[in-house]
Amino acid sequence: MGRLSQGQIIAAVGGVVLLVAMFLPWIGISGPTLPSGVVPGGVDTSTSENIWKGSSLDIYLAITGVVAILPALMALTDSAEEFSFISAATLLLGTVAIILVIAFLTVDFPDGADRKIGAFIGLGAAVVIAVGGFRAMQEEVAGEI
Amino acid sequence: METNRLSQGQLVAAVSAIALFIISFLPWFDISGAVTVGGTTIGGSKNFNLWEAENPLDIYLLIVILVALVPAALSLLGDGGGDAPMASMATALLAGVGTLLIIYQIFDTPGDLGRKIGLFLGLIACAGIAVGGYLSMQEDVGGERY
Repeated sequence: MGRLSQGQIIAAVGGVVLLVAMFLPWIGISGPTLPSGVVPGGVDTSTSENIWKGSSLDIYLAITGVVAILPALMALTDSAEEFSFISAATLLLGTVAIILVIAFLTVDFPDGADRKIGAFIGLGAAVVIAVGGFRAMQEEVAGEI
Repeated sequence: METNRLSQGQLVAAVSAIALFIISFLPWFDISGAVTVGGTTIGGSKNFNLWEAENPLDIYLLIVILVALVPAALSLLGDGGGDAPMASMATALLAGVGTLLIIYQIFDTPGDLGRKIGLFLGLIACAGIAVGGYLSMQEDVGGERY
């Protein structure tokens, strides 16, 4: 792990958090209000869905998460490959992920549904990935001087 | 329009981006159904273009189009295209991911929507942007300008 820069570590942590957050609830759907007596006590008529079922944003966020943790994976496997564009790709994909998640939470969100914790953790993780990618790029430039 | 300051890759990416923008207004998905009332079956269908379908793909592809067009526009305006290698990489990367997302949509359409011509033309146009971005990356290395 010694070969990883601070920015790459930040991006990798963001990538792992994003991949985990994708399995948390993003969309909450409240069940219909039923007359008293129809629903036995303790039965919850609401449900929630994660991003895999709730939106086609899933594949994009998965690609972003994987690209963010790629440098860490290569360091763990002692891969000799060096891809200079990965930090820029991480910054780019992370920034676009922020835009897409914000758009999903505002414009594209299903009517009548609730925003759940997974969506906000996912948004935060996308910000961390973009910041990590930006720092990794800066560190690469500083390392070349 | 003076295009001699555009590289071949930028030109391919820009033309494909304009095509993708136009294609985005063609039908991408449709939904159809039939209801039988008293022995009479009434059927109907409705088409959705990229913007009407509730799908984050529209915003993503708009970003791809802008990323492909801005360097070409800056080059035409004599700004040199800004940071050309970075712009080419961004175009190739985002359009490549966009191509994957459209392929995914073809196999996994949202809900029970049907696939229409726009989805397939959009795939070709997005792949064209990715190829243009890749060519532009190669040209940035070789320093070719057409």
